[in-house]
This record gives sequence, structure tokens and C-alpha cells, in this order.
Amino acid sequence: MTLVLAWNNVRANRTSFAASFAAVLLAVTLVAGSGLVVVGAGARDELNGVMGLLVLSAAVSAFVSIFTVAGLLSLHVLRQRRTWALLRSVGMTPRQVSRLITAEAMVVSVTASLAGCALAVPYATLMAALVRLAGLAPAGVPVQVTPAPFVVALVVGPAVTLLAARAAARKAAGVGPLEVLRESAAQRRSLPWPRAVVGAAALAGGIALLSLVPRVEAKSAVPAGLGATMALCVAASALGPVALSVIGRLLGAVVTRLDPGSGTPAMASLVTQPRRAMSAASPVMLTVALGCTFLFAVATGDAAAGVARTGAAAWVAPLLVGSAMIHTVISVLNATAMTMSERAGEIRLLRTLGAAPRQLTRAVCYETLIVTGAGALLGTAIAAASLTALGTALTGRPWFAYSLPQYAGLVLVCAASGLAAGLAATRRARRGSLLPDR
Amino acid sequence: MNDHAVLMENVTRTYGKGATEVAALRQVSVAFPRGGFTAVMGPSGSGKSTLLQCASGLDRPDSGTVRVAGQDITRLGEKELAVLRRDRVGVIFQSFNLVASLTAWQNVILPSRLARRRPDPRRVREVLHRVGLAGREGHRPAQLSGGQQQRVAVARALLDRPEVLFADEPTGALDRRAGREVLALLREAADAFGQTVVMVTHDPEAAALADRVLFLVDGRIADVLERPAAERIALRLGGLR
Repeated sequence: MTLVLAWNNVRANRTSFAASFAAVLLAVTLVAGSGLVVVGAGARDELNGVMGLLVLSAAVSAFVSIFTVAGLLSLHVLRQRRTWALLRSVGMTPRQVSRLITAEAMVVSVTASLAGCALAVPYATLMAALVRLAGLAPAGVPVQVTPAPFVVALVVGPAVTLLAARAAARKAAGVGPLEVLRESAAQRRSLPWPRAVVGAAALAGGIALLSLVPRVEAKSAVPAGLGATMALCVAASALGPVALSVIGRLLGAVVTRLDPGSGTPAMASLVTQPRRAMSAASPVMLTVALGCTFLFAVATGDAAAGVARTGAAAWVAPLLVGSAMIHTVISVLNATAMTMSERAGEIRLLRTLGAAPRQLTRAVCYETLIVTGAGALLGTAIAAASLTALGTALTGRPWFAYSLPQYAGLVLVCAASGLAAGLAATRRARRGSLLPDR
Repeated sequence: MNDHAVLMENVTRTYGKGATEVAALRQVSVAFPRGGFTAVMGPSGSGKSTLLQCASGLDRPDSGTVRVAGQDITRLGEKELAVLRRDRVGVIFQSFNLVASLTAWQNVILPSRLARRRPDPRRVREVLHRVGLAGREGHRPAQLSGGQQQRVAVARALLDRPEVLFADEPTGALDRRAGREVLALLREAADAFGQTVVMVTHDPEAAALADRVLFLVDGRIADVLERPAAERIALRLGGLR
């Protein structure tokens, strides 16, 4: 019975599952692929110079993967609240619901992991070619298919999924049968205590790392700085809903004043559903925070050492970080599309009340831009904190090198993918038939 | 030229294609007089909701014309339809259809805000008072009972005094008392403010409040009764099934 239900559930929620599948697939590809490159580079002594960079980018990839997969899965479960409540109301026990969710997640995760392993080899070859083209390793990085990276990826992928699914399933099993009857928009608390504890712990860890960075030797400063950024990202995404409802209120008030028709619905949903908004803002924050820290840390290190990279070599860091950033951009797309597709009913309702197509387009744009903007703001703050600590460690002054075009590029890519996903996900509701079921 | 608020001529609406094709409306012609209260009844699948959706511009008929206040709405684009919905008609649904993230007050003024109008707060307070929601302005839908939510929806439809009020099973999700209160508000809209009311219902008692009851069967109008009593409606309805 559980199997039949699971299968029908997957069929009924294709986009949501496709998004989870894509996230795990990419995660495994990145982790196994970076692993292959690192192992290949480790086999040659003359590649020691790039080794640090490669290991760092692999670590960033792994972190990004875990973060996005976990985020996407809990969003997926949040979306299906009503389904779980319905199943509970017809007599399913919390245990059965929890088993159902775990089973679904594992099926998706295992198939996606296997596919990801297959894609890891071409990905590693591509990365090796990029490193060679950039002139970092003139002889090239030999990519050998060794089992270790695959084993790691195959363990990490499903393990992370299992953990995230268990946590999400516990939440879902706690959904009472009565929730079917309740309007989902009234989220009870934006900061339940387990979330607050995780957030506070990560925040403390991040601040501790920040204060450590100027004191460790120069060689470990960059990893410590990246670590601080990662910890602060976890803290921000846990505590973010609170910050987001404040930012949402401020930006929303401005927009509502300028364009009441489109601004009112955009703001209301941000203020009442900060957690849903945060799941869309998180990947943006991650992209900006990690991208800036990685890029500008390398630049600061070069500047401190008096190294000026020119030509192809100047592109190594952006390329390495770029591959991990593709992942975060895809999760920006995913998360925005998922949160906005939830709004289909509301958009149709606004149409029956007389909202014109353009007003709806603007409402979707405002909401996406406010969410993306909040994420970018948080990410910039985190990166600035880590980079200042790093700069102090490397140069003795609270200073760091940065490139405005690279920063603007990161933010613009996030904003553009958010807008594209938001508009695409609501297109049918905005333009199609008003009666959804026909 | 027209004392009809809504005029439908030869309206046909078909759903699906091929083997699954269902004709919801077949060549229906009907006029809803200005200021009148009309109930539309019929067994499920008879096309009564489709009739209301086509009349209110929520759905497009495959053929035929629908005139609302003299304007043929079947030729309107999405933008003009939006203006029609926010200015000329008000729609009330069985499932209330309030924006969950907005308060009662914000829900009521939403159509005006969409039209970039700033409604007079006194008028909003007056309408909310009339539907019995004074003091509940700041509540969100989740904090209101079903009857109160439906009254918010009615207040939203009444605020700008649209020419036509469409109601699709407005009492379907309510208990008898809450239902009667909503029906009384619709009756008052027709009597006191000259608004045209078109209501789909399956409840003979609700239909008995109307000036006129249309019976639909298989997408065609089977009968029309003027000011019938509830017993007569129930009897007629039983004969249709």
C-alpha cells in the first residue's frame, strides 16, 4: 500500500521530485568529479601548487551540495503538508507517514546518485582540461577512474538525503489530521526552538572562526575564512526568516506605496510566510557569500603575496568557483520555481478579482526581487565579515581585494535566474484558463 | 436599450475533446433583468456553474455572445476582462476565496487597490459593519469562522457596488444560520441598491429568496419559475432528476 501511495505521490508531484532529483544528481556529480580531480592531481608532485585550490573548491562543492539538497527536501515536504494531513485523517499513523516520506526520498536519491556517478567522469575531465588551459598544470591533470571518490559520493548523497528526509519526515508526521482544514498560509511560528538552537550554535561557531582567522598562520587563513562563511550561512538560513520578515516589511512598504495593486499581495505573502521566502532566499545568500569569499580571498592572498595573475591564470579561481555556483544557481531556480508555483491558486484568485496580467507579472517580479535582494544582502554581509577577518590575517590590515564586476555578475545571475524561474512557474496561472482543473 | 444586466445568446461551452467531450452548455439564451435576483438550479453536471462562469467572464464560451451592461465580453482581451471584473461584477464562491495572507480589511479593499483606487475608509467600515464584521477588520481568514469568511467575501463584492453580483453556491460550505445571513445580504443588495444578483445553488430554501428560478438540465434551460415557494422548487427539482 505504501508503495502504491509513494508511486502515485511521485507522479502527482513531478516537478517537485524532478527538482530534488536534479539537486542530488548535481551534488553527486560535483563531489565525485572534484574528488577525481583531487585524486588525479595528488598523483603528481608538480601539482602541489594547485592542490590547495582544488581541495578548497571540492570542499565548497560538498558544502553547497549538502546545503541545497537538505533545503530542497524540506521545502518539498513543507509543500506537501496537506497531503500528509489528509493521509493522517484517513487513518495513516505518523510512523507510516514518516516511512512513506523516507521511502520516496531514498528512491529519488539512490537513482539520482547512480546517474550522478556516471556524469562525474566527464565533469572531472572537463575540470582537468580547464585547469590545463588556464596554465596551472601544463602537463594536465590525469583523471583516473578510482573507486574512492565514487564511494564517498555514493555514501554522502544518500546519507544526506536520508538525514534531511528523516528530519523533514519527523516534522510531517507531527502534522495533525486537522491541518487539512486549515489554511496553510498561517504559519504558526517562524522560529521553532530546534531551528533557533541550530542557528545560535552555527552563529557562535562562525563568530569563533572569524575571531580565529587573524590568528592562524597565513596558510590556513583561507580555509578558516571559508569555514566561517559556511557556518554563518547555516546560521543565517536558520535564523533568516526573522531577518527576512523585517527586510520584507521594509522593502514591501516602499513597493506598496509606489504600486499598490501589485505590491500588496507581494508584501503580504513575504510577511506572513517568511520561512517559505527564506527557502528561496537561502541559495542566493549561499551563492553570494561563498562566491565572494572564495574569489576575493584568492585575490586578497595574491595581492598580499605580491602575485599578479594575468591572462588565463586570472580565470582559474572564477572557473573553479563557477562550477559550484552553477549548482547554487540551479537551486535558486528550483527554490523560486517551487515557492512561486505554490502561488498559482492565489494568482488565479487575484485574476477573478480583477488583477490585470501586467499587474500580476509585476507582483511576481517584486516578490522575487525582494527575496533575491534579501538573500544577496545577507550573503554580502557574511562575505564581508569573513573577508575582513581574512584580510587582517594576510595583510595585517582590515582590508580585502574585490572586483566589482565579479560581484555584480554573481548578484545579477541570481536575480535573473530568480526572475526567470518565478515568471515561468506562474505563467500558466497568470495567462492560462482561470478554471484550473479543465 | 437594455434593462438586462446580463444577456446571454446561444451560448455553447464544451469541455474536453473526442470521447471525453462534455457539453456543459448547449445553445443557452437567457436574460438577467437589472436589479433582479435570479437563482440557477439543476442536478450536478447540468452546467449551472459553467453558466455562471461564462456570464461573469471567468470562462469563455465556445460560441454565442455574453453581454454584461451592454458590453459583449466574449470579445474582450485579458486586460479588459480584468477591468470588467474589478469594476462591473463581483463574484462570491462556495470556498470563500480570500487571500490567506491579507486581513479582512485588506481583502475587502483588494479589488480597489488593483484598480489603483484608495477606497474611503468610512465606506469600508460601513460595508464591514453591514455584513456584521465590525471589530474583525484586522483578522486574517484563518482566524475567522466559515460564515465570517464568506461575509468578508460578500463585503468585498459589495464595496464598489458592482452592477452584477455572481454567487456560486455561496451557502454551500456554511451552516443554516450563517447561510441565511449571507442570503439576506444578497437579497438586500438587490432590493436596497438595485444590484443584479445571479446565484447558483442546490438548496431550494435559498432559491426561494430569488425573484426567479432557472432550472438547467444537460446544459439546457428546462424550466423557469417566478417567485416560487421552497416546496414548489423542491418538487420541480425532484421531477428533473
